[in-house]
Amino acid sequence: MTVFCTLAGGGAPAITALQLNAGAIAPESAVLVALLACLLVDLAGEEAASRWVPPICYGGLGTALVLLALQWNAPLEPSFLGSFLADNLAIAFRGVVAASTLLSLLISWRYVERSGTPVGEYAAILLAATLGAMFLCGATDLVSIFISLETLSVSSYLLSGYMKRDARSGEAALKYLLVGSAAAAVFLYGASLLYGLTGGETSLEAVGVALQTSATPVTALALVFVLATVAFKIAAVPFHQWTPDVYEGSPTPVVAFLSVGSKAAGFALALRLLVGCFESFDAQWKVLFTVLAVLSMTLGNVVALAQTSMKRMLAYSSIGQAGFVMIGLVCGTEDGYAAMVLYMAAYLFMNLGAFACIILFSLRTGSDRISDYAGLYQKDPLITLGLSLCLLSLGGIPPMLGFFGKIYLFFAGWADQQYLLVVVGLITSVVSIYYYISVIKMMVVKEPQEASDVVKAYPEISWSLTGMQPLRAALVGCVLVTAIGGILSNPLFTWANSAVAGTPMLQHAIAASESAVAALG
Amino acid sequence: MTIASVTQLICFVALSLTLVLGALGVVLLPNIVYSAFLLAGVFLSVAGLYLLLNASFVAAAQVLVYVGAVNVLILFAIMLVNKKEAMAEIPGLLLRRVLSGAVCLGLFLLLLRVDLTTPWAVPGPTPLGEDATTLIGIHLFSDYLLPFELASVLLLMAMIGAIVLARRDVYSSDVITGEAADQGLIEKERTPLLLESPPRDTTLLEKV
Amino acid sequence: MLSALLLIPLVGALLLLVWPGDPESQRWRWATLALLGLQLFWSLAVLLRFDPAIGGAQLLEVAPWVGTLGLEYRLGVDGLSLPLVLINGVLSFVAVAVTAADTSRPRLYHALLLLISGAVNGAFLAQNTLLFFLFYELELIPLWLLIAIWGGRNRAYAATKFLIFTALSGMLILGAFFGLALATGSADFSFNPLLAQDVGLGVQLLLLGALLVGFGIKIPLVPFHTWLPDAHTEASTPVSVLLAGVLLKLGTYGLLRFCLGLFPEAWGVMAPWLAGWAALSVLFGSLAAIQQQDMKRMVAYSSVGHMGYVLLAAAAATPVSLQGALFQMISHGLISALLFLLVGVVYSATGTRDMNVLRGLLNPQRGLPLTGSLMVVGVMASAGIPGMAGFVAEFLVFRGSLVAFPLQTLLCMVGSGLTAVYFLLLVNRAFFGRLDTPPTTQQVVLPSIPLGHQIPAMALAVAILAIGLLPQGLGSLMERSSFALTLPPRVIAASLDSAISSATTTPAIRLEQG
Repeated sequence: MTVFCTLAGGGAPAITALQLNAGAIAPESAVLVALLACLLVDLAGEEAASRWVPPICYGGLGTALVLLALQWNAPLEPSFLGSFLADNLAIAFRGVVAASTLLSLLISWRYVERSGTPVGEYAAILLAATLGAMFLCGATDLVSIFISLETLSVSSYLLSGYMKRDARSGEAALKYLLVGSAAAAVFLYGASLLYGLTGGETSLEAVGVALQTSATPVTALALVFVLATVAFKIAAVPFHQWTPDVYEGSPTPVVAFLSVGSKAAGFALALRLLVGCFESFDAQWKVLFTVLAVLSMTLGNVVALAQTSMKRMLAYSSIGQAGFVMIGLVCGTEDGYAAMVLYMAAYLFMNLGAFACIILFSLRTGSDRISDYAGLYQKDPLITLGLSLCLLSLGGIPPMLGFFGKIYLFFAGWADQQYLLVVVGLITSVVSIYYYISVIKMMVVKEPQEASDVVKAYPEISWSLTGMQPLRAALVGCVLVTAIGGILSNPLFTWANSAVAGTPMLQHAIAASESAVAALG
Repeated sequence: MTIASVTQLICFVALSLTLVLGALGVVLLPNIVYSAFLLAGVFLSVAGLYLLLNASFVAAAQVLVYVGAVNVLILFAIMLVNKKEAMAEIPGLLLRRVLSGAVCLGLFLLLLRVDLTTPWAVPGPTPLGEDATTLIGIHLFSDYLLPFELASVLLLMAMIGAIVLARRDVYSSDVITGEAADQGLIEKERTPLLLESPPRDTTLLEKV
Repeated sequence: MLSALLLIPLVGALLLLVWPGDPESQRWRWATLALLGLQLFWSLAVLLRFDPAIGGAQLLEVAPWVGTLGLEYRLGVDGLSLPLVLINGVLSFVAVAVTAADTSRPRLYHALLLLISGAVNGAFLAQNTLLFFLFYELELIPLWLLIAIWGGRNRAYAATKFLIFTALSGMLILGAFFGLALATGSADFSFNPLLAQDVGLGVQLLLLGALLVGFGIKIPLVPFHTWLPDAHTEASTPVSVLLAGVLLKLGTYGLLRFCLGLFPEAWGVMAPWLAGWAALSVLFGSLAAIQQQDMKRMVAYSSVGHMGYVLLAAAAATPVSLQGALFQMISHGLISALLFLLVGVVYSATGTRDMNVLRGLLNPQRGLPLTGSLMVVGVMASAGIPGMAGFVAEFLVFRGSLVAFPLQTLLCMVGSGLTAVYFLLLVNRAFFGRLDTPPTTQQVVLPSIPLGHQIPAMALAVAILAIGLLPQGLGSLMERSSFALTLPPRVIAASLDSAISSATTTPAIRLEQG
């Protein structure tokens, strides 16, 4: 897809001859149309909204996913005069974000309606967050990065405070707002320093070129600021302080989106900025990221052992999982980047499957505590099976998809001689198995006489209310992909490898690191 | 030293003084209304600095947006949320102040050193003067078109979200079932158990 | 052909879980018995198709799986893995046969047993180290569930300990496999013994050390054995049978196939220390067993002791000792399974395993005569009395290792003698003597065990006797593989070793990788 539209009308003729290549943002346009349609339908009242908003969202996000698939391996041209680039990496991450929103919406209808909060606006704000995240994955200009980062962040603040009557939700929103705004301000400061270094350019390419020739303290400062924002977005230790409180206080479907979609966008940002831009400083930022990865894996997995709330435990587990993905980021090899992409796709299904089960349990019992899951196998085998498979997949037990993802990350790390990271990863995997197993123990091992009182008073299982069918469909779909996708994972591996192969920025970085290694030894 | 450069220097020193003193006042004064007004002073000084840098459009935008809209909003919020609350004394406040002061001072010195030792590309881009507005317009419709349009989505969604959060909902019931809802999280806080696990049950069945 | 050995139990387990029906009925047990019977029959068919004269892996089945990782679906069987597959088939069948009829949640229980049987088959048949690791990790959660749900009083603690130890061992093994496969730069996870030659000796020793600790947790070797007494004691009888009879052999299989097979150079350097470690393990296990009051715990510690012989034989790496190592794996599997079965019968009949309380169980009218007789047979076999499988194994191990490490072998022989000590204590206290010993005031009448329940134990005893009296059949199967693993003979008593080599059938050539 080359030329989609050009500027028309009067004005300087030079501008009107420029080619926008706006077809690259067709998926985002689909999401935008869905957002506007949701808002319009919402005007008709709450009943009409809860009837029509779900199909609109499915249509918009489904169209976006189809358009993304059509963009795959297309000839690359920068669109919007250098603000956006739809390379394979961007398509892969945008696909992960759109899929995470689709699945989050499927599992959220019943939750949002049951709490009495309006559905139309919820979907609209979530779609706006998706829009910001999708643009963030492909943005190649400092200004575009900032605007899309802010779109994603502000929507996330609004979503985490959506259940406004609940003090926990308000606390979560406030904490997220304060920390997120500080992070955005820090990013802007770093971006301004980069702008100054380039002498007036904002495109990432120009920044990268300027950085190669300036080895001054300013670049180190800019790197630290940019890294702080990236680390905040992916919730790496020690920039993770907001995660447990925000995850515990936000509505659970929002947490599902934040843990996958927001994180995927954060990793895409990390790749664009650090790999694409700060290439000449990669020794420095790789060391910093190694430290971040080790800390995240260790702290995330160790503190999760002590949690009694399910959402909080999953928050710390997501910090640990981000640490694993950082292993792929630190190796500058083809396998490293492909492992990142693969693990994000696998993590999407595992995590959203787990959240679907948790939401179903909350809807039925109103509880979030791990000890309340005791004896669940008798009353609700679907949740038991689904949650067990997803948690085992998160722990890296074969034959689930998570096992293959983890193996690929460790494989890539070992091949690049990142022995410290892989050893820490292996040890913390064992730790993570322990706390995932403790949940499964509650559900499967506890006998009926040891069941918790909420399980003893478990309601009749019914799927008749609107919103329960999509929840069940999402749960079953995610669990199926997690359970069977491992054995059939070869296509996923080829897809991840072609994502890396079709991204010039990554290929450039891989070639540079290979020549550096060859020069050394 | 020409008249122009001396004038510029005097204006720069005056504006910087008001800016720094105002910022210090915003942060350090205990009375929040004083802080809000000093913030307006800070924003105005920044607008003055933009004028010194020949960026007249940005200066006007600064006055209109920051002073006219943001600061007024802050003042409204302070006026409406006028709760007098007796706060407890925080222990060890002096130590915290000393530590945070030291951190800020360190950061300042670092920034200072970095700023002075960097070979900035001087002179920078040629100032545009009166053409700035036209060129900003051209940029907003050519290479910054995408962020410009995306910013409109951001503003729309921020507005909607603010209204959703701030309004008093007329209904609070589950739309489908009609049950009353409290607009809180579904997962309720339950009183914590004294023991997270029940005492070991000695009548556990033994398996062969 | 070999894939059926995986598909029958694994697909069977899945079908069992999703088949509609009452989760509490007995049909699941019969279905599982049928599936495991089919698996056993198939293993015997593989045995018939197996040609002992050909070296290397036979009946290969290769399919690409994940090319990027170097993970290939590659199955093959040789003299080392075939007897283990057969043991797995037999003991899985026995385990389900002795499952109590009133086991709770039978559907889940039998599905988990099938999963374990399939995973173990996969581990033994895999010809790709990453594939082996996949099956090794696959059996982790089903076993944990089996101990945690159907175990004894202390099952939660034992299950968690088992989980942590085994998970750690898995990670160590994965790290070592990565180190070996990626040493050259391109991923080669095949069983190529030439891979280690590209790696410096220091790195080889490091990787071998990691593998040794990893498999040492599984075998188990002192001091990584602490999970075993708890796990074996708290598990129910069928699960103990599987744990001791089959799962420990995963550790020794790994020892022989990966530690000795893939790192011959480093192994040769470490061999004296390994032999010393084996002696330590044997002595510790035996001495600890003497102190036990619980019969099941004593049998568990005896496993610790007996698995040390395999390490000793592997350290010596002479043709005779390696043949002995393979024999020991088979005989220990059968013997410990028999012992656990009998202890389980005693426990279900009397309600206790405490040797301070049990007396005179061999009483012909009111006791458990058949069980007691079989226990005496099992104990004799474990102690190494001629005529039974244990003797053949221990004799070969000691004969083959004496030429290489005389001191350590002597210490292990002491350990073998100690086996007689503690098992004689067990039999003397629990089975001999009078049934109505004070402080029991009333006459003790134990329920009679129906013959049908005794058949598995009798079958195992017959198998032990058969191997003890006619070891050539099994020996000829395993010979090529054991000779393939031999290292060049050590300087000590080289002439003695060559004398032995010429006495048995010698292969003309040293085999290359399979």
